Amino acid sequence: MSRAGDVAAPAALRFDRAVLANGLTVIGEFNRYAVSVAGGYFVRTGARDEADEVAGVSHFLEHMLFKGTDRRTAADINRSFDELGAQYNAFTSEERTVYYGAVLPERLPALLDLLSDMMRPALRQEDFDVEKNVILEEIAMYEDRPNFRVFELAGRRFWNGHPLGNSVLGGADSIRALKREQMLAYFERRYAPSNLTLAVAGNYDWDEVVATAEGLTRGWQAFDVERELPLPQPAHGQTATQDDALKRVHVAAYAPGLAAADERRYPAAILANVLGDDSGSRLFWALVDRGLADSAGLGHEASDGTGAFVGYLSCAPERAPEVLEVYRRVLVEAQDAPPDAQEWERAQRKLATSLTLRAETPLGRLVSLGASYQTLGRYQSVQDVVSAVMGSTVADGHALLAERPFDRLYLHTLGPGAAPEERSPSS
Amino acid sequence: MALNPDGGRIFDHRLDNGLRVLFEPMPWLPTLSTTLMLPFGSATDPTGLEGSATVLHDWIQRGAGALDSRAHSDALEALGVRRGGSAGRETASLGASFLADELDQVLPLVSSMVSEPRLDEAEFAPARELAEEELRSLADAPTQRLFDALLAHFLDGGAGRSPYGTEPGLAALTPEALRADAVRRIGPRGAILALAGGADWDAVLAAVERAFAGWSGDSLPLPEARLRPADRHHVMADSAQTQIGLAFPAPAPADPDVYAYDLALHVLSGSMGARLFTEVREKRGLVYSVGAYYRALHGFGYTLGYAGTTPERADETLQVLLAEIRRLSEGVEADELERARVGTLSAVVMQGESSSARAGRLASDALLRGRVRTLAEIRSAVEKVDVHTLNDYLAAHPFPDPTVVTLGPKPLVEVAA
Repeated sequence: MSRAGDVAAPAALRFDRAVLANGLTVIGEFNRYAVSVAGGYFVRTGARDEADEVAGVSHFLEHMLFKGTDRRTAADINRSFDELGAQYNAFTSEERTVYYGAVLPERLPALLDLLSDMMRPALRQEDFDVEKNVILEEIAMYEDRPNFRVFELAGRRFWNGHPLGNSVLGGADSIRALKREQMLAYFERRYAPSNLTLAVAGNYDWDEVVATAEGLTRGWQAFDVERELPLPQPAHGQTATQDDALKRVHVAAYAPGLAAADERRYPAAILANVLGDDSGSRLFWALVDRGLADSAGLGHEASDGTGAFVGYLSCAPERAPEVLEVYRRVLVEAQDAPPDAQEWERAQRKLATSLTLRAETPLGRLVSLGASYQTLGRYQSVQDVVSAVMGSTVADGHALLAERPFDRLYLHTLGPGAAPEERSPSS
Repeated sequence: MALNPDGGRIFDHRLDNGLRVLFEPMPWLPTLSTTLMLPFGSATDPTGLEGSATVLHDWIQRGAGALDSRAHSDALEALGVRRGGSAGRETASLGASFLADELDQVLPLVSSMVSEPRLDEAEFAPARELAEEELRSLADAPTQRLFDALLAHFLDGGAGRSPYGTEPGLAALTPEALRADAVRRIGPRGAILALAGGADWDAVLAAVERAFAGWSGDSLPLPEARLRPADRHHVMADSAQTQIGLAFPAPAPADPDVYAYDLALHVLSGSMGARLFTEVREKRGLVYSVGAYYRALHGFGYTLGYAGTTPERADETLQVLLAEIRRLSEGVEADELERARVGTLSAVVMQGESSSARAGRLASDALLRGRVRTLAEIRSAVEKVDVHTLNDYLAAHPFPDPTVVTLGPKPLVEVAA
């Protein structure tokens, strides 16, 4: 069989970077086999950068960037994306806000024009008022998704005052009270050129990308942006929210993890896979394979300055005490019965495949390219990440477990009836 | 369209045992994705044993050949395989994505699940238990509940049954009944194995022959989908939003009109610039989520509409949704069609960059249309639709009365409880 891996060797890829006079960083990963190109703005701002009185403003602002600029109405923006045949969207997390699209290569300059224009929005009052209803509908939609809601409830408690516990959506009350002027002030503090990264991935002409970006962002004023990175003091224990309208118990699990710039994030990701991947993991065999829970998993989320193991579990209320105990025991006992070499290698190989698959499309590649550059301040190819995963040894995993992160497990349950055995939260 | 340096060639071959093998080379990729599509689903579940396809689909993955459940799973994962697949209304699928070099190791592990599943007694109870848990978990998933109720009101016969099954159906299952069901429903005749990614055809065919040639047996023909009369129905639920769903018939996947229809639907709901998003969300702020989607069963197409909104806005939302569907019959503007065309064509190209999306499209084309289309064929068909033929088509085929199902804390004015 042909060694396809040789064809797509690193020589097929090239990394490009430029810093413009206004402080905007532009990066690219050229792939000569790509038939499309993806581009996007990565803004280093999210729920963690919000004060309580403007909770949800990052996400609401993300919506408002689609509502028009001095040059375009909301309808113009939507129509322009359509004329480009773009696959496009945006998302907001605790860490960042990302606006992106993918097009055929000849349409990249027009896509960059549109995205760049959006980064300087008009924030018109009438658009703000209509969009507020859309945000309130989005909040209501997630109210009906307990598998989402439980993380809103749990994250705030686990992070215990640390800004990573802030809600991305905010609450209905904070959104209703939010004024356009507050959003504008937030925008003017956060959307500095130096706080944005423009990334492209796929098939492009680098000189054209840089020239286009320079022309489109020439008028952007430079200013400084800071992010607070306080040390977390995460809670542990168990808390509950009773909701008798629910038929199942939904559980969010947290334990202290590693920051995005910490080299141990790779063994942490492998460890989470060993323990909680959706197939073949210890939690899978203990709970899902046996039909005790319809879902039971664990992942590792490496953030700016800190991180956490984060898991989810769903089961019947009458089984919740038993299932919670098994979930807890699998994690705690792993600290004394750490993974063996075969378990570790299976998880490494699964992660390596997933990373390679995600990079098949320019759009899939763009998101990890931009996020990792913005977090680390340097380029990582997919091969770099795969090598780091395959180079993480089982001893690295044992070292993480020796710190006994799961002795500090935090569980929050959301479901009907009286809460299962309550352990008071503490820090 | 220079998507595939190989000229976009798709290999289509039938093994002696009847298994249809489809392959599209993507030689620049280090990865390979496979989809094994089996023609069994809730539509052909035995009466009284609703949910058996879902349990069977799980059970065949719990040990095969010489390997018990754990050993089989570990063997796939030691090769770094990412698994996928599900049991649906007409088909059950087993998906695998992996580094192309592992093809020879991976395929026997996939084939053994269908050619020699162990169907161990000890694995039956947990497989059923998991299906029961998944069925019960729907109680907290209003959107999924809405679509299950909508299709039960829209489709008659087996296709209207939810793949999740029913409590009595799952309770009535026995290992013996399910083993008999496996013999009846799992065989290479009627099954499709689609592959896409970084390999060449000779190597793929040789590996497929080695892994699958020993598999034998038949499967059941897919039943024709039948419709119930258009209906309106409300499901009471204690939810923050009212879920609105509607369904009406559309051209079958192999009908030449499907390209015109699909472009019209794109004008209605293909993007954030489309009519539904503009009228329901952008102008009125009634929803976060609204859309209309083409869906297909074997030989039959239909359209689903959806909106989620708070109860006090539900009546207005349904009115706007229905009005926009009616307005589409009056025709589209030339510039709307052009945007829909550009969007459709770029989506086809971009989806073609992912090996698993490519393998999935090969399998669904073969299943729903009987044959696989090249990207060039799709492009040419999409380019042929002009605004006059589209508007003539829309005028001649007004949208039928939809079945409307809603779910929420209070019935809508137009939808009785």
